Amino acid sequence: MTTDNSKTGVGQGLDQAAKAALLRETMPFKTVPDATLRRIADLAKEETLPAGTRLYNEGDRADDLFVIASGKIEHALGPEAEASKLVKMVKRGDVIGWAALLSTKQRRLATTVAEADTQILRINAQKLRDLFQNDQQTGDMVMSRFATMIKEDYTLPDWLAKTRSIGEGTVARSEAEVPVSESRLALLGYRLGLWVKSPKPYLMITGFTAVLLFWHFSVDVFEWPRFRNMPGLVEVITEWLSRDPIYGLSVWTPEYYTHIIVSIRRVFIAFLLATALGVTLGLFMGWSKGVREFVFPVFETLRPVPILAWVPLAIIIFFHPESTVIFLTFLASFYATALNTMLGVDSIDESYSRAASCLGANKWQVFRHVIVPGALPFIFTGLQISVGVAWFSLVAAEMVSGEFGLGFVINTSYTMVKYPTIVIGMITLGAVGYTTSAMVRMLGDHLMQWRVRELAMGGR
Amino acid sequence: MSAQVMTHQMPGPGRLRKMMTNQRFYRAITGILVFIILWEVGARSEQWAGFAFPWIGLVPPPTAVLGAWSTVFVESSYWMSWLQSFGRVLAGFTAAVLLGVPLGLAMAVSRTFNGLAFPTFEVLRPIPPLAWVPAAIIFWPTQEMAIAFVTFLGAFYTIVINVVGGAKSIDIRYFQAAQSMGSNGADIFRRIILPGVMPSIFLGAAVGMGITWEVVVAAEMISGGGSQIGGTAGGGLGFFIWNSYLGGSYELIVVGMISIGIAGYLCSSTIRKTGTWATPWKRLR
Amino acid sequence: MSAVMNRNTQPSKYGATRGAIQIKNVDKIYDPEGAAVKAVDNCTLDIPAGEICMVVGPSGCGKTTLLNAIAGFHSITSGEITLDGELLCGPGKPQAEPGSDRVVVFQNGALFPWKTNLENVAFGPIVQGKMSKKEAYEKARSLMADAGLGRSERNYPGEISSGVRRRVEIVRALMNDPAVLLLDEPYRALDSLTKSVMHESLLETYYKNKVTIFFITHDLEEAIFLGHRVVIMTSRPCRPKKILEVDIPHPRDYNALTSTRFRELMDETMDAVHEEAVKAFEAGEKEG
Repeated sequence: MTTDNSKTGVGQGLDQAAKAALLRETMPFKTVPDATLRRIADLAKEETLPAGTRLYNEGDRADDLFVIASGKIEHALGPEAEASKLVKMVKRGDVIGWAALLSTKQRRLATTVAEADTQILRINAQKLRDLFQNDQQTGDMVMSRFATMIKEDYTLPDWLAKTRSIGEGTVARSEAEVPVSESRLALLGYRLGLWVKSPKPYLMITGFTAVLLFWHFSVDVFEWPRFRNMPGLVEVITEWLSRDPIYGLSVWTPEYYTHIIVSIRRVFIAFLLATALGVTLGLFMGWSKGVREFVFPVFETLRPVPILAWVPLAIIIFFHPESTVIFLTFLASFYATALNTMLGVDSIDESYSRAASCLGANKWQVFRHVIVPGALPFIFTGLQISVGVAWFSLVAAEMVSGEFGLGFVINTSYTMVKYPTIVIGMITLGAVGYTTSAMVRMLGDHLMQWRVRELAMGGR
Repeated sequence: MSAQVMTHQMPGPGRLRKMMTNQRFYRAITGILVFIILWEVGARSEQWAGFAFPWIGLVPPPTAVLGAWSTVFVESSYWMSWLQSFGRVLAGFTAAVLLGVPLGLAMAVSRTFNGLAFPTFEVLRPIPPLAWVPAAIIFWPTQEMAIAFVTFLGAFYTIVINVVGGAKSIDIRYFQAAQSMGSNGADIFRRIILPGVMPSIFLGAAVGMGITWEVVVAAEMISGGGSQIGGTAGGGLGFFIWNSYLGGSYELIVVGMISIGIAGYLCSSTIRKTGTWATPWKRLR
Repeated sequence: MSAVMNRNTQPSKYGATRGAIQIKNVDKIYDPEGAAVKAVDNCTLDIPAGEICMVVGPSGCGKTTLLNAIAGFHSITSGEITLDGELLCGPGKPQAEPGSDRVVVFQNGALFPWKTNLENVAFGPIVQGKMSKKEAYEKARSLMADAGLGRSERNYPGEISSGVRRRVEIVRALMNDPAVLLLDEPYRALDSLTKSVMHESLLETYYKNKVTIFFITHDLEEAIFLGHRVVIMTSRPCRPKKILEVDIPHPRDYNALTSTRFRELMDETMDAVHEEAVKAFEAGEKEG
């Protein structure tokens, strides 16, 4: 492809216009305004690599990025990129070494060797960043074109795919592999920067402050009727953080954690049981017409009975409060999981099963390779709902018949007139419940790499 | 978020004849009959075989339930419970729709309002509605209002989330098309956003209705059943169940459960029916 | 399959020894007791081994029903279908067994999105127990490399373009060494530029492995460019209306599209196709 560029002469140097013209050919810099492009061209230093020269090794410190002017370079992504097979040839107009742009302490993700005598432009990433500091609009554009280029040209590296979820408020996971998490941190930093520049965080803080102020003023300052009965903001917080709480429950008392652990344990057991049984039943109801036609009507007949209407009957059946609470929590989760799993199987395009059977898969293989993975996204949606309803019914069950647990705390604090403790219980419940749902979502993302990557490709 | 899909379809009169000749119909009947027979046998095992099945042996058998039902069926207090529960559900649910739909639409339309209110909303949402029961009782002057408030919360979250999600999922081309035909903001709101979120409103309402019944039952049990509250706000089907439990008439517990099941089902299917009627373009498919 | 080999060792005029399909007087009626929709009506078609047989007809005319009958996804009401003389379906056996000798490539693509492209390609031999996982992956790798798909191995189907997906799907089919490829409008959703690349790549594949191709489309240009023969179907119920021999010599490339012979063949068939399309459209209007 490449025409012989040796007429420019090795080491003789391209002039600014020639460099700018080359940059104009590349994906990231294609749309940069002329003036800025010339300044980038001034940063670019021309170098010639004889065939066989190693430009950089995977894992090296990354300071510069490179634009190929002529010749060709073999570019092999390292194992961290989860694409050890991914070797490609880069030629005129390609940009490599973009890892340098991600943060100041970057490491190379690939190993590059000049396949022939190759002429390159070396651009210092720090200087480029400085330049964009003064022209943020162009900077943002170039960065986003870089992102597109990376997505199009490479296997989407896992870490990049995973970082997608950060934008949606998921807590970033700490990962064992240092280099990967480092580059992810860089991306997180970049996203965080964008977020801080947007009005979102300030609106959010305003919203929170307004609610908290309203709480404080209505209860403690103006003492409006009705409101003055409620525990105040200051009272709740002092109680919660007090080493010697007036009503006996704060972050310093071991009972606080006992209640949390008891509740979590109940939800956990119920959730596990419900998942095991619900997924199984749902898969079979979805997969086999016979099972569905006999069992689903029974399921649908029982389902309208609210979980909490089961409370007295559950007490009669199980006697023991612990089993009663777990049963009620289980039942709520079970419905959600079974139903969503069945819908998940329904949602699988028939051509997948047909494709599998015409490739020679038998009934069980279709079940294993098509039905189960195909239903997985719905199953996990179901599990998220299931955790939510588990907490929902756990609270009710604990309020009616519990001996420990957060629902019990809330109810007894009411009867014993420990009003601030009610609020502490509520907030703790919300936080713990939210955390468990987030964990289920993260587990789902982890198990369904194909889906995460697909969504990542579908544009933010 | 709104992935709970409702799969009920009441057969229309035209479909009835076809259904009668349908294998699926017979299988459904068989399934339910087998379930009831197993229940009867399990529940009467001690009486018949001198050996009680675990768990199911403690449940009153269906025939006994039917007998108990026929006695209370003619009592006005039983129907009073229906009426009271319906009243509470209706009050809480109506409030949730009246507040939730506009709030959801406002969050969908205004980015600023969304940024202001949505995070707060998301922070409060994980707290289960029933955890609010004691706080509600402290705050509201009457027990009745406290129950209505908790009921309201149950449906409110679901409706808001569905409205916001529904508005976000409207295809941007509809807006572009409307603008290219010269619509102004009010037109777009009335003719694109409102019908666009309509299906989500009804989906949210149907799910919310289910939660409403859950909450009403629990609230009636907790407030009416606990010793802490005086009788001002007793009654309702939840209380009916709890009272039957306290009184030791186990058959009536099951009667109450079935009654609530029917009541909840009637409410949800009414909403779904209204939804199909209000969004005719969704019927084709 | 070995019995078939013995019977028919003479290569056909396309140089293939297996994959001859005979469709004899096939009828297909949906819901015979109720609405009784006739989808296929007394259809007879003889496809020699190694032919690229293009089936053209308006959307919803029943072509896919025919393909599904060959693949074994649907039963037939009467008539019979044989593959290399062996009965697939017919009297006493209304529905064929799906099998890896007749692999289908679907309209919207059916690469399993939860498996990587490599795992997709290796799927057939692994589930059939014909190869160990290692062997299957090795063969899959080399087939993909041959097709120029090496760099998409570790990607999930959702990450690659729809054109590449179709090519992977064809490699997945060929991995099973099938006698027949059944293609159900595989390029329908692609833009016309990608489509022409796909066509050339399909022909290239065909020249390497002389496999019978039963290709359903409603794109006449595609049909003439690819096929040895083009079978034009009537709109519902579906029956061959006209069979066109395409006498443009293989191997073909995109230059064939601009040749005079190509234009003549287009002219010759356009009327027949258009007539059926109008019929189908009007029928559709009445139903809707």
